[in-house]
Amino acid sequence: MDQLLWFGWFRADIIAEYAALFWRGLQMTILVTLICIVQGTLLGLAIGMARLAEARHAPARQLCQYALRWPATVYVSFFRGTPLFVQILLIHFAVLPLFINPADGLLISGEAARNLKQNYGAFMSGVAALTLNAGAYISEIFRAGIQSIDRGQAEASRSLGLSFPRTMYHIVLPQAFRRMLPPLGNNAISLLKDSSLISAIGLTELAYAARTVAGAYSRYWEPYLTISLMYWALTLGLAYAVKKLEARYGRGDSR
Amino acid sequence: MNILTRIMTSLGLFILAAGSLHAQNRELVVGSSATYRPFAYESPSKEIVGYDVDIIKAVAQKAGLQIKVVNTPWTGIFAALNNGDVDLVISGVTINDKRKQSYDFTAPYFEARQLIAVQKDSPVKTLKDLAGKKVGVVTGSTGDDTASREFGKTNPDIRRFESTPVVISELVNSGVDAAIGDNGVIAFRAQEHKQLKTVNDPSFPKEYFGIVVKQGNKALLDKLNAGLAAVKADGSYAQIYKKWFQAEAPVLPAQ
Repeated sequence: MDQLLWFGWFRADIIAEYAALFWRGLQMTILVTLICIVQGTLLGLAIGMARLAEARHAPARQLCQYALRWPATVYVSFFRGTPLFVQILLIHFAVLPLFINPADGLLISGEAARNLKQNYGAFMSGVAALTLNAGAYISEIFRAGIQSIDRGQAEASRSLGLSFPRTMYHIVLPQAFRRMLPPLGNNAISLLKDSSLISAIGLTELAYAARTVAGAYSRYWEPYLTISLMYWALTLGLAYAVKKLEARYGRGDSR
Repeated sequence: MNILTRIMTSLGLFILAAGSLHAQNRELVVGSSATYRPFAYESPSKEIVGYDVDIIKAVAQKAGLQIKVVNTPWTGIFAALNNGDVDLVISGVTINDKRKQSYDFTAPYFEARQLIAVQKDSPVKTLKDLAGKKVGVVTGSTGDDTASREFGKTNPDIRRFESTPVVISELVNSGVDAAIGDNGVIAFRAQEHKQLKTVNDPSFPKEYFGIVVKQGNKALLDKLNAGLAAVKADGSYAQIYKKWFQAEAPVLPAQ
């Protein structure tokens, strides 16, 4: 009780006691977010392109429809249509043990699998789930961005003799990227916040640190307010970075 | 003025009387985390059943209390008690000095000890052998306390999860080397998975589970204690114990 009075209603001492955990949690949250933003964007680009794949003549036409558009559509539908939390648990407790398992892993087994799971199990599952989920959302951003560029741009480029990949790379994507930046920034921010869900599988990130303290002391203001402020600072940083990028890539728009 | 005072007074008395009447007949909400088989778990018909539930029902009947058991996640169970969302908690809560500072406990209703679960081929014999290994516990549980005391509370080798089933899944999938928890639950879960075994470290002290109420709620505490004493006296306690643990009930200290 003395201690309680001493520190007022906010007992900063218990945060200080677990400072190492919060610090590790902060680093982990940043690491997971950065990896997922990069991987998710690449995956989103690939899926977005697959959803737009079209060809005029057989067999490329059927190939585009059945081997690219359909799987991509199903993929996006699944990962947008199921909760991220469920995806994390599914990947960690069902999918990962199938591939990496000391007893009979399809990919890795034996002692290596044990070490990998113990040191990076939650990290791998979390990053995988978050990347796959973000990829689905980002692919829609790419699709919308690419579709928003007037067809004439691509047609003009093709008639000048540029190949499809070069048309995309030099003409369409640079214009589309500008329009995609705001929604991409949005996505990065939700990715950062969604990373807190990975604490459920025991990854030491910010939410995990807060849960540990709350569990040990049955106090909730201190840990959760602390990480709220940390998340807030991180999202402010991200928003600032996106704003800078927009200014950088938006220069072409203001003639 | 006189009349007005009289009206006010009688109105006040009426509200007071209605309030106390209400309080007496009010159904008390019992918080229990239903991931703690055999103490409390959800049956296929969505009912919360288990040793704890049978105990609290018997106690309530003796004490003449109306109760309703509500599934409350373990990590928020003390917050729910503080907020008044639940009036009492019976969820395999170990009585310890730290918790006694913030809550009031009834007399013990169960004798527990910590127990370690490991894979069958593990050489671990005692808690000390777990140094440097990954240990899974439930956040804020006695197992968490034990591991935190032994290995340091911010030690990254301690992996904390929301519930016992998740800890055990992680152990089965080799995500951790060992799990520490209350013996009743750990023993039950270990016999569900044939690749697991339990390790009993004799250095673990005896512990007791108690029913928890908000600090200072003496009226309810006294009723519960009287009910518990009656349940122990008339043999129904031994019956319930036998039903869930297939063993004779140990003699519990009165306080």
